[in-house]
This record gives sequence, structure tokens and C-alpha cells, in this order.
Amino acid sequence: MSYQEKNVTVALVSHLLILIYYLFNLLPIIQSGEWIASKLYALWLVVIGTTILVTIIGSILTNIILSIFEAIRSQKYEDPRFITDERDHLIELKGIRIEYITYSIGVLLSIFVFIFGQPPLMMISLIFVFGILAEITGDIAKITLYRRGL
Amino acid sequence: MEKRQVRNNIRKLRFMNNEMTQEQLAEKVGVTRQTIIALEGGKYAPSLELAFRIALAFGVSLTEVFSYEVDDEQK
Repeated sequence: MSYQEKNVTVALVSHLLILIYYLFNLLPIIQSGEWIASKLYALWLVVIGTTILVTIIGSILTNIILSIFEAIRSQKYEDPRFITDERDHLIELKGIRIEYITYSIGVLLSIFVFIFGQPPLMMISLIFVFGILAEITGDIAKITLYRRGL
Repeated sequence: MEKRQVRNNIRKLRFMNNEMTQEQLAEKVGVTRQTIIALEGGKYAPSLELAFRIALAFGVSLTEVFSYEVDDEQK
């Protein structure tokens, strides 16, 4: 498993955890039908903040842990080079394309929910769900491409 | 149906160059070992720049490393 592959796996796990947390807080609101704006704004803020923090911290931690393992494996104390090459960039681009397709479909579905009489806050909540789902789909696509070779 | 594929002799050339490892070749041309594995397995066609770098690493011409083949599988 390459450095990039491990990085994507960490991102996938963190995105899954964020989605579980978001749905865990959103489902009671959907069930009760009480769309209180202030409550939702706080939830969105937490989700956006956590996503940014987890992505940054996850990336730094992965780098540190992999550097330690690499130093132990190679018995060298120099800074290991985790290079990204053209194949990594191609996989990244393909992953982003799948992310955009998933997100576009999600936004379209959310708009339909609004058109069919649901409150606008529900539409925005669903857009957030599809945003995280798109990230997860992109991560899965990238891992699949790495496993297959491309 | 016509199937086009970029084929390569990287494995053979590695063997002929003092059994160069995939890791050594990867380091020479500035890519990851996984990319060399994908190239040898025919799963990935490199950019023109990488193709030239690989040929340079072996000290041979581009056509000695890569070839472009068209398999006519139409029945």
C-alpha cells in the first residue's frame, strides 16, 4: 500500500465518521419535523469545522506515523520522501470527477425535495449529506483505482 | 473490435541492467514503485516525459522500451 493510498484510506475513515455524526444529529430533526434554523446552523458549523480539522490533522498524523514506520523499516534517520507522481495525479483527478458527479446528482435530488414541498432547511441539510457522500464516493473510487493499478 | 495498447519491455530491460529492482528504477525516474508495477503489468500507459525518462534510465531509445500495438479482435 503506497503513501497516497494510506492517506486516502485515512480520509475515507474520517469522512465516514463525520457522515455518521451528521446523520446521528440530523435524523432526530427529520423525524420530529421541527426545522429550527439556529440548531441546524450550529450543526452545519460543527460538521464543516470538524471536516476541515480532521482532514488537516489526519494528513499530518498519517505523515508522522508513516515517517516513523519508514525510518524503522529502512533503518535510516533521514526524512523519507513521499513522492506523488503522474499516476497519483491521474487517480486524484478521476476521484474528483466521480465526486463532482455524485455531488451534482445529490444537489439535483435535494432541489427536487424542495420542489415537492419540503422546507428549504431540509434541502440544505441534504446538500450537506450529499457533500460528505460525494467525498466518500471519491475516496472509494481512488482506493479502487489504486488497488486495480489504474 | 480494435484494441490499442502501449506495450513495454521494462521487465526485460531491468533484468538486462544488472537485475535492477523496481524500487531502483522508480527512484531513477522519479515515480513510486507502484507506478512501475502498474507499467510492467500493462495497466498504465505513461506520459511521454516519463517514457523518455525510463528510456534514458536504461540508456536505450524510446522504441526499444515502448511499442504501440493494435490488436484486431473483430470477428
